[in-house]
Amino acid sequence: MSYRAFLDGEPAVVTAALTGGVHGKEANPNLPETPEEIGEAAAACREAGASIVHVHARQDNGERSFSTERFQEIDDEIRARAPDLVIQHSTGATGAPDEQRLQPLRTDPAPEMASLDMGPVNRYHHLTSENTRGTVDTLYDEMRERGIKPELELFNGGQVTETYQFLERRDLVDPVHTTLIFGSGSLTRPTPENFLALIHDLPEGATFNTLGFGPHQLPFATMGLLFGGHVRVGLEDNVYYRRGELAESNAQLVERVVDVAETLGRPIATPDEARAVLNLG
Amino acid sequence: MACPYLEYRAAAAEQSFDTERAYCTAVDAFVQPMRADVCNDRYALDHETDCEFYREAEGL
Repeated sequence: MSYRAFLDGEPAVVTAALTGGVHGKEANPNLPETPEEIGEAAAACREAGASIVHVHARQDNGERSFSTERFQEIDDEIRARAPDLVIQHSTGATGAPDEQRLQPLRTDPAPEMASLDMGPVNRYHHLTSENTRGTVDTLYDEMRERGIKPELELFNGGQVTETYQFLERRDLVDPVHTTLIFGSGSLTRPTPENFLALIHDLPEGATFNTLGFGPHQLPFATMGLLFGGHVRVGLEDNVYYRRGELAESNAQLVERVVDVAETLGRPIATPDEARAVLNLG
Repeated sequence: MACPYLEYRAAAAEQSFDTERAYCTAVDAFVQPMRADVCNDRYALDHETDCEFYREAEGL
């Protein structure tokens, strides 16, 4: 992926990260938590130009759920409203055992994609999302068995190195699809220099999403669009539309990045085009 | 055993919700859903070692 891909007019895949597993309505009341709210948000994002929805599940009180049944409810709500969307389940977690993290992979049908966190991330002051190599392999093996395409989430540059080692342990279907994450704490520091270094250090032929947390969401999405990558936006990663102004919806964030792509002349992928770009199915 | 500073409330200050949510009386705020797993000592999490709000309130 490169500036050449931008010039060639390759379509950009927009992923909407609707809910997340960290904050909830206490941070932004417009963040969808129930299956019905998530289904409605997914359909609005599809209308706005997203082709993939990244899905976390919540209990009725907003707390995290890993249960297959809850993911199934959510998928049913999404498919009832936007049947052509690509559904991507999260397998991320802090402190939860692998058996919990495998549950989102066991819906019927399986999600077409699922996230795979490639290494540790510090949380709060005393916690770490460990994501050991053993966990990565366990989650991936079940994805492979169920025909689920992994989206490798790279929280920092060290996890690019982890990706190379992972590709020595496992034989992934091309293209390897990654998400480069920029922000504070354990994440790659959000600078253009780091962005350029990482996209040029990815495995040959890999595709990438650009994910900037908080105020970095739009600038890094724009860089992703310019350098032939794909983008992820949504309330999971950023609850604001601009400084001091909460976003009204996930779709509002999708609409904005689609407007940027259209201004730059980069076409936006339909769900079927996204399936072709990522070699799903 | 859950954190002694954990309560479930539907409203506090200017925030209100349809369903009661995790509220930390140590910091007087609704907490992030992920943090609620710590408050409730779910999985391998333990509020006594993993939560800075608890530890500060207890002077640890």
